[in-house]
Amino acid sequence: MAESMDKFKETFREEAFELLTHLEDTLLELESQPLNGELINAAFRAIHTVKGSAAMFGFDNVSRFAHEMETALDLCRNGTLSITKEFIGLALKGRDQLRQLMEFEGPLPEAVSSESESLLTRFKEFADKGRPQAAPKPQASPHSAPEAAPAAALITRTFRISFKPQEGIFKNGTKVLNLIEELAALGQADVIPHMEKLPSLAELDPEACYTWWEILLTAAVDENAIRDIFIFVEDLSELKIDVASGKPEGEPVRLGEILVDRGDVSSGAIREALGSQKKLGEVLVEQKIVSKPQVESALAEQEHLKKVQERAVESSTASIRVASDKLDALVDLVGELVTLQARLSQTSLVLKDASLSSIAEQFERLISQLRDNAMSIRMLPIGSTFNKFRRLVRDLSLELGKEMELVTEGAETELDKTVIEKLGDPLVHLIRNSVDHGIERPDLREKAGKPRTGTIRLVARHSGAYVLIQVSDDGKGLDRDAIKAKAIERGFIAANQEVADAELYNLIFEPGFSTAKMVTNVSGRGVGMDVVKREIDSLGGTAQLSTEIGRGMTVTLKIPLTLAIIDGLLVRIGREFFVVPLSSVDGCIEMRAESLMKLGERRIISYRDELVPYINMRSFFDFGEGEGETEGEPEVEHIVIASAQDRRVGLVVDQVVGDSQIVIKPLGRMYRDVDGVSGATILGDGTVALILDVNRLAAVVQRGNGLKAAAGEA
Amino acid sequence: MEAGQGPTVINLGASLTVDKAAALKDELFAALSKGGSVLLNLSAVEELDLSCLQVMYAARAQAKASGCGLHFSGQAPERVVSRLSACGFLRGPTERSGDLESALVGF
Repeated sequence: MAESMDKFKETFREEAFELLTHLEDTLLELESQPLNGELINAAFRAIHTVKGSAAMFGFDNVSRFAHEMETALDLCRNGTLSITKEFIGLALKGRDQLRQLMEFEGPLPEAVSSESESLLTRFKEFADKGRPQAAPKPQASPHSAPEAAPAAALITRTFRISFKPQEGIFKNGTKVLNLIEELAALGQADVIPHMEKLPSLAELDPEACYTWWEILLTAAVDENAIRDIFIFVEDLSELKIDVASGKPEGEPVRLGEILVDRGDVSSGAIREALGSQKKLGEVLVEQKIVSKPQVESALAEQEHLKKVQERAVESSTASIRVASDKLDALVDLVGELVTLQARLSQTSLVLKDASLSSIAEQFERLISQLRDNAMSIRMLPIGSTFNKFRRLVRDLSLELGKEMELVTEGAETELDKTVIEKLGDPLVHLIRNSVDHGIERPDLREKAGKPRTGTIRLVARHSGAYVLIQVSDDGKGLDRDAIKAKAIERGFIAANQEVADAELYNLIFEPGFSTAKMVTNVSGRGVGMDVVKREIDSLGGTAQLSTEIGRGMTVTLKIPLTLAIIDGLLVRIGREFFVVPLSSVDGCIEMRAESLMKLGERRIISYRDELVPYINMRSFFDFGEGEGETEGEPEVEHIVIASAQDRRVGLVVDQVVGDSQIVIKPLGRMYRDVDGVSGATILGDGTVALILDVNRLAAVVQRGNGLKAAAGEA
Repeated sequence: MEAGQGPTVINLGASLTVDKAAALKDELFAALSKGGSVLLNLSAVEELDLSCLQVMYAARAQAKASGCGLHFSGQAPERVVSRLSACGFLRGPTERSGDLESALVGF
């Protein structure tokens, strides 16, 4: 029993955290749209739910705190108090406090408790401001179990609305269609215009209104919200609002019940009519119990209610909650299956048995589908991470006295859950950097002819097997000459070496390049950039920086979609097997060894009309000549052309074996810093193959050639 | 208005609001009185309110009764179409604004 209670409490916590995250987003949105009633309602609903379930599970501190926040929000909701920046600040602090309170079930530590009390006092003070004007409201006791929703507005109900404008309504400039449109936007609506009274063209007064409406609206609003829309045409129209009686989910809605509910017909008459073989509506019209329009209108309501029910079912079964460790276990199992499948394929190849081969092939196809499926379950939209940054930018800008907004795009872009978790820190670094050092103070921005409010853009989009994430600001940017001078001083480039902008800026990510007092005259710019790079490297991604002084800077992160299972190209170097991630393979070519030799020291080959630097993997890994299958240098060289960081690099290998699915296993701590490999995998025959780190290899080749070129020129 | 052998084409202005309703009614009435079919060109329309919509419905009814047609040409802007849809004048969502004529309820 206790165990199951713990489980419930855990579920409560999970759901409450989700609600609080939602509350944070809503409050931040509310800050820019303080009059948006829907947002106020959403914030109220979130806090109300947290309060109710906290009381149920014995989190009294949470429930008591939430109660005060709810009271304050309620006053904003009914218009007694208005939403101010200060209130949003207080509410955000309240949200953080609730998040903290959630950790404690029993007595609170002194510090937490006093923080709670001080915030509660502020909420009470805020609420008191609204009390004198407000009608006195009975307040629920803070410790009460979740009561029914305090305002009817919170329940989703279906309203039958009839709106009959008077003929003269156009005369005062009323735009009737706008009113109806506004009403329909409140929820799920079926709108039925009636134009029966429209006269012939000759008799028509073009400035008279002949149309009236019947509207079925299912929405979480109260009647007043509907009346508010028509408040300025009260005297010029007839507005009737009824609430349709609710039906438990899944139960069919019957025409007879609707007609009785509307008061069009008695239930006795319905029973009588049901005895006949004809359709109920037809019978009732024939017997002149109801008119045809009445039946039509009731049928429209039936249709509307059906749609509402269907949608509710859809949304309740659209997703289920699964513990993430179960997903991890699933992906691990799929990984094992992939490895096993590789062994099966290998065995069938050796045995040369036709029926076994056919099974192995079918198995491979299925495993491949299973892999894609399992991986897609782990995909999450990156938007959840983006939302955290809105709060970060808001709080930092207040703290620093700067004005800025965070614009996000592509929040729906999906990435593996592990990748998303690991991306959090680097993104915080980059955004902090932009807020702290990129965006200038408002007065300085004005002087520079820029808008006072700085903009930080966070954009995510798919690009093949990668996701591109860009963090950019329209701040002061970096000074190219300063970076170059620093790069020369630190020995990253030769004094007379010409470097492309992209290459130069990317030096900022090198460890040991950035220190607090460099690059710009503002201290700190660049600090932590090597940390960002390291994190992104560990994800198998790349980071690139571009900047223009006075205009801002952009960091582009290129992140692989997944870290667990990838398609790889198996190659042999010496007697060992290695894997090149297929997503970075451009092509494979063969070249006679002597023609490769002729190109001499520069180690460059021509591929698709482009000069591509190459690296001989045999010598890179120091495999002696005897370790190859053939003695000495082979006659024909196999070169895998891989692309990394927007440039190509050739990898000279001994044999290209073929493609295969690869389960990535991390390397032990001892091997983590080995240049050129990023992980390992187990092959079909049980041997281990290392996964080549194409980005690092490309950097090695680039550096090798650069230094050689510089040395050659010097 | 361009009268000719074919249908009478009426190029509607940008804003079809209550102050234009009387003129629209007169124009349509005159065009329909000639007996031929009438083509309402919606290309320039930016705003359409209920008064002018009612005139169009009444004109269409008269055209039907007298056996001559009243049709739309050109595409109404998305804004107008979505407002008509929200107000219940369109049967389901229209893929293209060109479908307006067939999508208008009871037209």
